[in-house]
Amino acid sequence: MKAVMIILDQAHYSQIEKDLSKLNIRGFSSWKEVYGRGSGKGEPHYGSHAWPSVNNAILTMVEDDKVAGLLKYLKELDNESANLGLRAFVWNVEDGM
Amino acid sequence: MKIYETAVKNPVGTSLIFIGLVLIGLMFYQQLPIDLYPEVEVNMVSVMTSYPGAGSDDIEANVTRPLENALNSTENIKEISSVSKDGVSVIMLEFEWGSDMNMVMNDVRDKVDLVSGTLPDGTNDPMIMKFSSDMAPVLILSATARESSDALYKILDEQIVAPLNRVQGVGTVSLSGAPQREVQVNVIPAKLEAYNISLEQIARVIAAENVNVPAGDFDIGSQTYMLRLEGEINESRELNNIVVGSNSGQAVYLKDVATVNDTVQSRIMESYTNGERGATIMVQKQTGANSVAIVDAIEKQLPELMKTLPPDVEIVTVMDTSDNIKTSINSLLETILIALIIVGIVVLFFLGRWRATIIIMVSIPISLIGSFIYLYLTGNTLNIVTLASLSIAIGMVVDDAIVVLENITKHIERGSRPRQAAIYGTEEVSLSVIASTLTIIAVFLPMTMVGGLAGALIKQLGWMVTIIMSLSLVIALTLTPMMSAKMMRSSKDKKYNRFDKWYNKNILPLLDKLDSAYSKLVNKVTRKRGLTLGVVVGVFIVGVGITAVTLKTEFISASDNNTIMMTVEMPTGTRMELTRETGHKITRLMKEKYSEIEISSFTVGQADTDNLLGSLQENGSNIMNFNIRTKKAKFRNKTIFDISDELRTDLAAMPEISKYVVTPGGITGIIGSSNISVDIYGYDLAETDQLAAQMKTKLEGIEGLRDITISRKDYRAEYRIEFDREKLSLNGLNMATAGGAVRNSINGLTMSQFREDGEEYDIRVRFDEEHRQTIEDIENILIYNPMGVGIRIRDLGKVVESSSLPQIDRQNRERIVSVTGSTYKRALSDISTDVSSAISTLDIPSGTHVAISGSTEDQQEAFSDLGLLLLIVSLLVYIVLASQFESLTYPFIIIMSIPFAFIGALLLLSATGKPLGIMGLIGLIMLVGMVVKNGIVLVDYINLNRERGMSIITAVVNAAKSRLRPVLMTTLTTILAMIPLAIGTGQGSELWQQLGLTIIGGMTFSTIVTLILIPALYSVFGGNGVKRERKKHYEKISRYNQTLTRIKTKNNESSNDYIRPSAL
Repeated sequence: MKAVMIILDQAHYSQIEKDLSKLNIRGFSSWKEVYGRGSGKGEPHYGSHAWPSVNNAILTMVEDDKVAGLLKYLKELDNESANLGLRAFVWNVEDGM
Repeated sequence: MKIYETAVKNPVGTSLIFIGLVLIGLMFYQQLPIDLYPEVEVNMVSVMTSYPGAGSDDIEANVTRPLENALNSTENIKEISSVSKDGVSVIMLEFEWGSDMNMVMNDVRDKVDLVSGTLPDGTNDPMIMKFSSDMAPVLILSATARESSDALYKILDEQIVAPLNRVQGVGTVSLSGAPQREVQVNVIPAKLEAYNISLEQIARVIAAENVNVPAGDFDIGSQTYMLRLEGEINESRELNNIVVGSNSGQAVYLKDVATVNDTVQSRIMESYTNGERGATIMVQKQTGANSVAIVDAIEKQLPELMKTLPPDVEIVTVMDTSDNIKTSINSLLETILIALIIVGIVVLFFLGRWRATIIIMVSIPISLIGSFIYLYLTGNTLNIVTLASLSIAIGMVVDDAIVVLENITKHIERGSRPRQAAIYGTEEVSLSVIASTLTIIAVFLPMTMVGGLAGALIKQLGWMVTIIMSLSLVIALTLTPMMSAKMMRSSKDKKYNRFDKWYNKNILPLLDKLDSAYSKLVNKVTRKRGLTLGVVVGVFIVGVGITAVTLKTEFISASDNNTIMMTVEMPTGTRMELTRETGHKITRLMKEKYSEIEISSFTVGQADTDNLLGSLQENGSNIMNFNIRTKKAKFRNKTIFDISDELRTDLAAMPEISKYVVTPGGITGIIGSSNISVDIYGYDLAETDQLAAQMKTKLEGIEGLRDITISRKDYRAEYRIEFDREKLSLNGLNMATAGGAVRNSINGLTMSQFREDGEEYDIRVRFDEEHRQTIEDIENILIYNPMGVGIRIRDLGKVVESSSLPQIDRQNRERIVSVTGSTYKRALSDISTDVSSAISTLDIPSGTHVAISGSTEDQQEAFSDLGLLLLIVSLLVYIVLASQFESLTYPFIIIMSIPFAFIGALLLLSATGKPLGIMGLIGLIMLVGMVVKNGIVLVDYINLNRERGMSIITAVVNAAKSRLRPVLMTTLTTILAMIPLAIGTGQGSELWQQLGLTIIGGMTFSTIVTLILIPALYSVFGGNGVKRERKKHYEKISRYNQTLTRIKTKNNESSNDYIRPSAL
């Protein structure tokens, strides 16, 4: 099991939420109003007057074999509109119930 | 869920709600009554008291003064003026605008009741009447006839007046000028004496003979019958055979002592249209009725009615208010349409996309049509103020939508899908859109609270714009994102059509060039800000200088409504026949000389008591009232003001005329031509007369003043019978019986009516005309005493010639004479200065004082009201800005553009030679809200850039480059939408021209200046801010170093741990 943390511009949210099930991923948790700044390029997402854009975050636990497909999908989405901002990070999941 | 999110997610609901709004708006629009001006509750109440037989000075002392004293304490009273005439006292009370007239009426009634008991015996109960703007006639028709002229009254009354009265909305239809039928019994006094019969006896006999008496019921067998006695005469001829007395056993018939004439009344008001004798039919509407609908209905019915008339009777329209309303309204509708097209072109030019343009343009009709719902629900009318509000708002309603759409486009360009871009793009700018709408509302909402005449005019403007702007805000936050989500294409799906390609090739480079040129300019400006500010201040000072020298002020622009009214007076006491002849002479002159005049009609003579409007005008045997209708404005070269001025020259050349007043525009309610009046208060009639005469000569020397008249009437020549009371009582008579006898002989005695076809006509008994033409005739009148002995007047007293003042005017409980003139082609402010200096050269005796009133007074009042409004509005706008920016400095920078707007507005007025009046001032107030918008956009973006970490100058230059287009777009839509209003040539456009010019001048000048001033000022203030921060920081460091030194010396150690301030 891997945990995939997706930090995305809120404009991506509805699209990703819809496409997760297409990728056979059922479970996920999400947060609205997530603020942050990328390490490289890209606009900060602060929800402030200067940087009004806002991120959402999606955390999903997937089988190891699904990770590659998910990341590939996200990469394509990001390339489509590079300026919006979309990143994903993968953890190991130790245990669960 | 937020409102814009809901809207985007429910496109069907959203669009249907707005479609519903438009449908309801259109439905209400159909039902809105049309009128020229917003309904203004007239703040006048009159108290009329009659005291038959009393002279004007008796009336003044015994009736007018006690009533005035009591009424003076009425709440909210502004001015009290009165006219004391022979037999009647009329007090006019003027109340503050906006007083509750029902309360006022109750109050007045109480006050009158309080004193009415102490008024002299014989006074009738005071009549209290509220004036209303509905009293002005909506339509005046004139009927002329040749053969049927004597029967005209009956014909018109039955076949025109009665059917017109039934038209829905018509209040009263009154007929004047047509002679009414009357049966005259003209007695020859010598014959009466011979038979020893009195005139009263004849009248009594006629009354006694001309009756029907029901004698009761009686039974015959099984039936009940009614017994009737029919004594009424069937034909006026039968009167001849009435026995009026007997003489030595012989019956004396009426034909023996008198002639019976079945004829028409003499000494009534006569009216002539284009030189032909006729009658005037005046139509007044019911309160709140739709003038245009009434006139339309009448005009539809009139051709039908005219078919039933004898062929020689012709009816023409002399005055038609609906005509003026319709043309004014239509020219405003045209203005709105042109403005709509202009705004569309501007938006398309800057955005370069059809879809975006459509999304934005949709907000215009919806918000405008939506405002009709408000008009209908509050019972308002569609009038020139409401329509002008629409025209003013057109340029502004698109602003919110533009800002929203622009941000949505930015999101789409960044890669969002239209739907998400619509939601999040709107969310980001929602606050600033609300704030900028609030600044506009902060300007227009206080307008609804202004008092006075100005308030009456702009109240609806305030409400309309507030409502339209609020609607446009709602549209920008719901419909615009919804339509963007549906209609905009994301960047990857974008297809270029031919228009896009053409636009990208031709227009876009142009705009890009403009952007970069402007950012270069701003770059220079921010680096040389001292010089820039110097130049801007210099321009400001020069502007102030020029306006101070050239600007003129006035009250309100008079508008050309194709009507001229004219009152021409011959010397007091001139016979009606002579006056009528002069009237014909003037009519002929107008026909020959003025091709612009279509219809001219005049009335002459004493008005009937039942002719309300006639008796409100000045009337008398020596007075003519002209009502002139010119061709429509576009079919003639001269304005009604020019024609009026030429008429004045012509009238001045006629020696027989003693006074004349030419009023271009006529009675148009609140907005007429300007006048100026010098009021002389004082009790002594001789002194004030002299002063008024001096003032008149002085005013005649002032340029631009016309029609200078003195309000006090001329002393009237009269004959007075002075009875000797001793002789009267010796003969068993008293004043009342003697006076009655004289009145019956001269004026006539009406004791009975002749009935025919359900109509009643007076039977008037009096001396034959040839026996009441000389003083001897009067001296020979026989008065019979109770013993039946006839005594001649010459044996009871004497007839003397004298003169008296027919009328005493008072104002604020003092006698007043006003010298009034109307203005022509010169600004009110200049004339007013000249008049003031003329007054200062007068030698004013003690107990007398002089004041200027008229339009100047109204102007000062309105200007001070509007000045206060300007102050409140500026403060409110500052508050909105300060709370939006959470700063006191930035709003200050933005507010700096307002003085430039004012200078620009006044400069344009000066350049076009227009004076500043109420409308211009309203324009200035509106500018406060409009010009700060540019500043908000610029400063907001500069702040944003700085928060993103740019240096001040970079932030300013970048903001300038990126915000130039939105600023230009919103400004140009506002300015260009005003152009049709400013250059409007349609009827009634004079009123709005000033407003349009003010806004165009102000917006243009302030936009140019602010585009330079704001970057410069921002860099000054921003730079100072940075310096202040640095200084604080420096102080902090030096404090730290000092502390460090102290510790170091204490420890007696040396170290290199200093932080050098210069290193930071």
